Amino acid sequence: MNLLFTSIEQGLVFGIMAIGVYITFKVLDFPDLTVDGSFPLGAAVASIMIFNGGNPFLALILSAMAGMIAGYITGLLNTRAKISGLLAGILTMTALYSINLRVMGQANVTLLNTKTIFTYIEALGIPYRWGLILAFVIAAAVVKILLDSFLKTQIGFALRATGNNPDMARSLGVNTDAMKTLGLSMSNGLVALSGGLVAQYQGFADIGMGIGTVVAGLASVIIGEMIIGERSVGLATFSALLGSFIYRLSIGIALRLGFATTDLKLLTTVLVIIALSTPRIRSLLRIASS
Amino acid sequence: MLKLKKVTKVFNKGTINENVVLRDINLDINDGDFVSIIGSNGAGKSTLLNVIAGVFPVDDGSIILDDQDITRLPEYERAKFIGRVFQDPMMGTAPSMTIEENLSMACCRTITRGLRWGLNEKNRKEFKIKLAELGLGLENRMNTKVELLSGGQRQAITLLIATMVKPKLLLLDEHTAALDPSTVRLINDLTEEIVLQKGITTLMITHNMEYAIKMGNRLIMMDRGQVVLDIKGADKALLTVDELVNMFENAANKKFDDDRIMLGLRN
Repeated sequence: MNLLFTSIEQGLVFGIMAIGVYITFKVLDFPDLTVDGSFPLGAAVASIMIFNGGNPFLALILSAMAGMIAGYITGLLNTRAKISGLLAGILTMTALYSINLRVMGQANVTLLNTKTIFTYIEALGIPYRWGLILAFVIAAAVVKILLDSFLKTQIGFALRATGNNPDMARSLGVNTDAMKTLGLSMSNGLVALSGGLVAQYQGFADIGMGIGTVVAGLASVIIGEMIIGERSVGLATFSALLGSFIYRLSIGIALRLGFATTDLKLLTTVLVIIALSTPRIRSLLRIASS
Repeated sequence: MLKLKKVTKVFNKGTINENVVLRDINLDINDGDFVSIIGSNGAGKSTLLNVIAGVFPVDDGSIILDDQDITRLPEYERAKFIGRVFQDPMMGTAPSMTIEENLSMACCRTITRGLRWGLNEKNRKEFKIKLAELGLGLENRMNTKVELLSGGQRQAITLLIATMVKPKLLLLDEHTAALDPSTVRLINDLTEEIVLQKGITTLMITHNMEYAIKMGNRLIMMDRGQVVLDIKGADKALLTVDELVNMFENAANKKFDDDRIMLGLRN
């Protein structure tokens, strides 16, 4: 039961990050590694503000804004300086490592005895555990609904077309560079928001907490896609959330089976490799058997 | 309405592979002209359309559309005036978006996109009517992803998108080259119908001499980066394929040896 609760909580809060990864990898077709830096950036901004007695809700807004700036920079590097997408993300991510240390002033910040959003929710008379789930459900639902709606607007269509067929988009008057930058900003804003929530949820921010964010996000998106598919935008964002839950559940089970926390990155990577190579292996088998 | 003044385009400039693809091209296209462009491979036909559309910049010369100098405008801004259909059926549509979502991209070629819904009752109804006019049964499949459609169906949709809001200029870059013969006829009929009905100024590259002669009111032949023939009005109406081949050989001073045009002669 505890495992299920934890998986739901984590699935939702990291699900917001997975939705961010969905925007770059799936909508924009842009392999963005900035998220490994923008996730701890969000955590750093939120935790340092809360540590100094700031409002935890305001802290989340600032987290998201910091993440958007990070994504914007990757966008500029790619569209203006013409640096390849992968490298642009790696450059921003690496720079963010130093920035995150600067923001926190040290390698980690503990939020013991501070007022997080959960303190406020508990003050409403809701039991702590339920307060967590309530907060995450609301946050994930708002993000999902806003993004779904956005992707159905004229600009949203332009964003999707940019990822899907940039030649066509440009031929129909879409400034594809601007759309890429917009998508990267949105994505990293969500990833940093998720980082800010996670810091408050686990009670600390740590300089190393961003390592493997991309792979975890990708794992969630792919698992969701395998179960639900991507027939429509609404289903795709839902499947990212569901994928995130299943991913966290499998991680929880792996830990119970006796794996060490340090083994999880390896397990996740193997999972993603299997998922990504399955179509190829299947088609090879089909050729071999025919 | 479209004027090209001494337009020159060089690929790999300053290298051993330097290739002058367009050489001092001067061209004056009148309002409502439907121009078919022919020429052997490497003559510069596609490059001509691409510099007009702004896919890449020119090295020299200027491009004037309706008294506006568009030489330095980026591709996506020129899209406000120019509709395009490409040779590759994959290029004109977004495969994982639905038919109606693709069509809705047409509305905003001329306006700035905002946070209004991309689809609503009104434009869905309009799309349904336009799709029904194609006669391909696509009006009942508006929620189908374009990736599930055939090349011909995609080209029909691309043509619809390019002309839904009347462009000042329509550029067709061998838009039937990748299709089977019966689909070629279908798309060509559709092209003629739309272009003539809306009176759109059009430049159409084709490898099929018969269609080049049959369609449009003006024919341009290119060779080695230059316009070698420009036949208009009554002269064009009386043109035959044999005459055209002779004229080409005289103008370009070489044998007419392009395989694809020869094939075009036979079907």
